[in-house]
Amino acid sequence: MADPIEQFEVHPIPGLEFGEVAVPFLGVQQIAVTNSHVAMTIAFALVVLFLTAVTSGAKVVPGRLQSAGETLFSMIDGVTDSIIGHEGRKYFPFVFTLFTLILGMNILGMFLTFTATSQLAVTITFAVLTILLVIGIGILKHGLGFFLLFWPSSAPLVLRPVVGAIEFLSFLLRPVTLALRLFGNMLGGHVALKIFAGFVVSLGAMAFAGEGLGLWALPIAALSMTMVVALTALEFLVAFLQAFVFAVLATIYLNDVVNLGHGH
Amino acid sequence: MLISTQTDTMAAPEKSDATGGTYATTTEAESGGLPQFDTSVWAGQIVYLLFLFFVLYLLIAKVFAPRLRRVMDERATTISTAVATARSVQAEAATQAAAAKAEVEQARADSRRMAAEAKARVAAEAEARRQAEEAEVNARIEAAEAQIAVTRDAAMTNVSTIAADTAQAIVQRLTGKPATAAEAAAAVKGAV
Amino acid sequence: MEAEAAKYIGAGLATLGMIGSAIGVGNIFANFLNGALRNPSAAGSQVGNLFVGAALAEALGILAFVLGILILNA
Repeated sequence: MADPIEQFEVHPIPGLEFGEVAVPFLGVQQIAVTNSHVAMTIAFALVVLFLTAVTSGAKVVPGRLQSAGETLFSMIDGVTDSIIGHEGRKYFPFVFTLFTLILGMNILGMFLTFTATSQLAVTITFAVLTILLVIGIGILKHGLGFFLLFWPSSAPLVLRPVVGAIEFLSFLLRPVTLALRLFGNMLGGHVALKIFAGFVVSLGAMAFAGEGLGLWALPIAALSMTMVVALTALEFLVAFLQAFVFAVLATIYLNDVVNLGHGH
Repeated sequence: MLISTQTDTMAAPEKSDATGGTYATTTEAESGGLPQFDTSVWAGQIVYLLFLFFVLYLLIAKVFAPRLRRVMDERATTISTAVATARSVQAEAATQAAAAKAEVEQARADSRRMAAEAKARVAAEAEARRQAEEAEVNARIEAAEAQIAVTRDAAMTNVSTIAADTAQAIVQRLTGKPATAAEAAAAVKGAV
Repeated sequence: MEAEAAKYIGAGLATLGMIGSAIGVGNIFANFLNGALRNPSAAGSQVGNLFVGAALAEALGILAFVLGILILNA
């Protein structure tokens, strides 16, 4: 059976390798245009093309494409507006960029052999970018008051250091869970797809070669095929949902520092 | 770009081939697991993704979001103005309907009044005509009655003359002696 | 016991953490349906919260999965 995790390997495109360079923390790095870069570029280009097509001929009475784009737009707009409030518009472009880019990469992963968002490097970049923005906005807006985020004013005085420590820990875990949620969903979904698709091929081969289960392998292969179809549908849902969840969580984390102290 | 070409030129082609080959084999042999944990390809992806993210952010913040927001605001104003127009038109229609209703009421009252007037006039005319005819008929009746009275009176006088004559003749025949006209007349007068 | 075998057993045990996540996600959707059937008019506005809650519960299962993978490749 084909190796289900082979699809996550990052290969340099032949002829586009530019050697190696040593980088702190990460060690020796290859400098190359890889299939990951290609997938990211295609996703980016598709997102830009889509948004251009949606907005360039934007009319008051929308066509099909425009209403699809506007649905996405007003969905994220609703999220930022309802969670952050009247300041939500300022942070809308960031959240929308996150959403469209992740959605583009997720959906593209269903069509290409490579999924950019199943790369830990990519999801960690998204998560760290989000959390750095949260910290940056917190410190810019509130200065040292940013650290009140970890000071639970409603808890009893004795418990406050303990609860504060837990809050701090959970804040540190935020980028980790953000990155791992997207990574794990994409990884798990694509591994499961590949495994079931591999079953179809190997069981079919087994049936035609007359080995092992013989013809009894055919119904199992058919069952695996239905699983592949069902999982593909589920993966499309997951691709959309994870992008949306990432956007919503990024908005919630932003809201914590934008509306620090009031609300909640 | 400059650095990369330098490293490329520095590393001999056969050497880079060898390192690449050993690299691949070592990673596969060592972990045998997820390629995502191979950090040697991280930096390129991270830098490129940050670049793409930044470009897309700029595009969305400066171009796409304002465009769409403008269209949506325009739509919102269009819808609200359309609703306001519809509401004013509706109000106008309501006032017009009320006016039409009042007009109809007015017309109905007018026609009712006119009908009553016409009826009254016709009745008065008919009454007048009837009275005139009645008067005429009465006059004619009176004239006829007067003539009848005259005729009757004349007849009555004739009757008494005839009676006196008859009485004279009867008396002459019975008594053989003529009665005077005065006696006969007196006797008739007493009888009649 | 070989270290390799222990690794596989450990990875398998780590993925047991998904049980809790599965119960949590099931709970969320069950309670959402419960509430949605009681008050269908308010259900639509809470779909976003539903998915965020499901994602938060699911994240812990995915942590277990990643932990399993990490142990497997340690």
